[in-house]
Amino acid sequence: MRTRPTRSRAVLAALALAGTLLAGCGYDATMVPTPETAAEEPSVPPPSTQDCGDPTRSYAPDGTVAQLRDGRGTREIERRNRLVVGISADSYLLGSRDPISGDFEGFDIDMVRAVARAIFPLTAAEAIDDRITYRVITAADRIPALESGRVDLVVRNFSITCDRWEQIAFSATYYESGQQVLVISDLADAVDGPEDLGGLRVCAPDGTTSLTNITDVAPEDAEIVTAANHTDCLVRLQNGEVEAITGDDTVLAGLSAQDPYAVVPAGQESFSREPYGIGVSADNPDLVRLVNAVLEQSRTDGTWEASYNQWLRPELGPATQPQPVYGRE
Amino acid sequence: MTQAPGATSAPARPAPAGPPPAAAPAVAAPPGIDAAQAQRLGEDVPRLLNRLQVGAVALCLVFGVLAGLVQLLAWQGSGRAADNTEQLVRVQAIETSLYRADALATNAYLSGGLEPAEQRAAYESAIEQVLADLTAAAEAQPADREALTALAGEVNRYSTAITQARDGNRQGYPVGKAYLAEAGTALRGEAAAVLDALVAANTERSEEELQAHHPVWLVVLAVLVVLGLWFVNRQLAQRFHRRINLGIAVAAGVVLLATLVAAAYGSARNGTAEELQAGAFRTAVEEAEARTAANDAKAQESKRLINRASGQTAEEPWLAASAIVRDNTTRLENWRFYVEVHERVVLADDDGRYDDAVQLATDQSTSAFDQYDEIAAGEIDQASDEVTAELRSRGFSLVLAVLLLLAGLVASGAVAWGINQRRREYA
Repeated sequence: MRTRPTRSRAVLAALALAGTLLAGCGYDATMVPTPETAAEEPSVPPPSTQDCGDPTRSYAPDGTVAQLRDGRGTREIERRNRLVVGISADSYLLGSRDPISGDFEGFDIDMVRAVARAIFPLTAAEAIDDRITYRVITAADRIPALESGRVDLVVRNFSITCDRWEQIAFSATYYESGQQVLVISDLADAVDGPEDLGGLRVCAPDGTTSLTNITDVAPEDAEIVTAANHTDCLVRLQNGEVEAITGDDTVLAGLSAQDPYAVVPAGQESFSREPYGIGVSADNPDLVRLVNAVLEQSRTDGTWEASYNQWLRPELGPATQPQPVYGRE
Repeated sequence: MTQAPGATSAPARPAPAGPPPAAAPAVAAPPGIDAAQAQRLGEDVPRLLNRLQVGAVALCLVFGVLAGLVQLLAWQGSGRAADNTEQLVRVQAIETSLYRADALATNAYLSGGLEPAEQRAAYESAIEQVLADLTAAAEAQPADREALTALAGEVNRYSTAITQARDGNRQGYPVGKAYLAEAGTALRGEAAAVLDALVAANTERSEEELQAHHPVWLVVLAVLVVLGLWFVNRQLAQRFHRRINLGIAVAAGVVLLATLVAAAYGSARNGTAEELQAGAFRTAVEEAEARTAANDAKAQESKRLINRASGQTAEEPWLAASAIVRDNTTRLENWRFYVEVHERVVLADDDGRYDDAVQLATDQSTSAFDQYDEIAAGEIDQASDEVTAELRSRGFSLVLAVLLLLAGLVASGAVAWGINQRRREYA
């Protein structure tokens, strides 16, 4: 019959339609978010505008440690029976935590303990940490912590500058640091300073004076890479993303101690001057005088030298305690 | 040729093939018959019957095929809904396992080189679970493959950084903290962005397909078929003495019955799916979000101590994660039990009793947290099993599809038989 072919064709057409529908409508691929390649301009701190003469001028101690310890400067500390200090907990060799004993240790910590022993002479040396409250603070928090009175002292590789004298007070210089470079070990012979960094990648933390200074002195073909902090720079060095790091020589010593393949070339000259001081509230010059007296005492009884030899000499070589400069009223 | 009953003496016999026979007005209408009837008297009824039969049979067959197709698509849709739900659960499990690994790694970091072996083993198995789920997810949904590949890269970056953090920590070097921070950034930055995209895409796919049945289409088809059959019946009734053709009636009945059953089933399934969406599906999704945020909070607690920060800003990440847990979890009492211990940790740290804080964080806090984590995991498993089991019990849909096809065949057979009955009367 003529109608049969028409009917079977219709059925075939329906089945074909079914087949295409069933072939499975695929799903749209899930969108992968593209990572933001933020090539930000590294933030450079504004250049120092204040000129106050010699910023390392501090208050002269007008007595011995024994005479000054019960003065106005320590009234609040003695009432509290504790010295509250702002420190760093991950600056190796300067201020960090011994993972086994749990105690703080480092060159800066030794300075803290020297001041505490002077204020609390009756406490045994081994128990001096009972008289100290350590507050771990960031570099950005150093000045606010002093201004708000949260801490009595800040001992945290704190460079003395005229700008900072506007807000707080400093002791005399207890270590003359300076900016240097650290390189991977097989470049240690070739690199003597920032001028030899041509063709290399050097890391400095964002927003620091280290970054400003290296930008000024590094050769044209050196590539400057930024990171969040100095330890982050070490991570990049270990991952092969940079060949050099720049910063204060004490900080570099700390990095070098953590990695035998990161080396501060011996006999290097610092290309900037970073005098370290102990930060004190601007309202407490008497405490500054006491701290300066303690620093002088540690020069004569060898405490400073012993501490330096223990912590920094292995990486940085021999050094002497800087002479204090007084004259501030 | 037999004459149709009621016809009088032989009128002019029209040509079999060709244009429709011209009305034979030449014949004088006998009394008692009107013009329309007279016109019909001149028709070729057998040819009409053929056409009607072919049309009706085709209609029923097409109904059978289309209705069966609609039902088949619904069956497929249910299957896809189940697949998509499973994929969503899988992707959320990846996210949770990653944050769980982070909570374990950061807590172990506090113990330094003395990390408990079970904690290390738990971290390893969390990472393994992530990788296993990644592979399963890539296989299950090709559209997710690109995103999952990107995620695999981030997971690798994360676990490498954790290993390096552990090495640095073991030697007592602060550089370990920098690696830990890098791991945290890899997880909460790039990996989280990819995971969010995956969760969003799969949630959308699940929710779209949940209402897989469309009984409306079946009803529309059935109505069209019944209308067509009614028309055929009317054509027959006008030419024969019977008002209702039995075959056509049977066909219409079969079509209606099959459609009714299928439509009722479809509505019921849609209703269940709606219930599921508001109930077990939502529970599975929200509890997974809560568990992920909970592990994030635990990691932030450890990180606070590792980084030795104190004060309000240090608590903000924990508070943010905790808020997400509170909004999404169903096991609030278990969460609060952990929160109490956490508050003691914070108190100790703010007071300067760091060692006490670390002791609490690695001991009581961890055990309190683990009990919440385990319970939440159980809730998620239960809810997601319920959803997929319900969605996968769809065998009857397939049976209905075959049933509808058969209904179409039976209807077409009935129609053919019904019309044949009339044709026999002609013979």
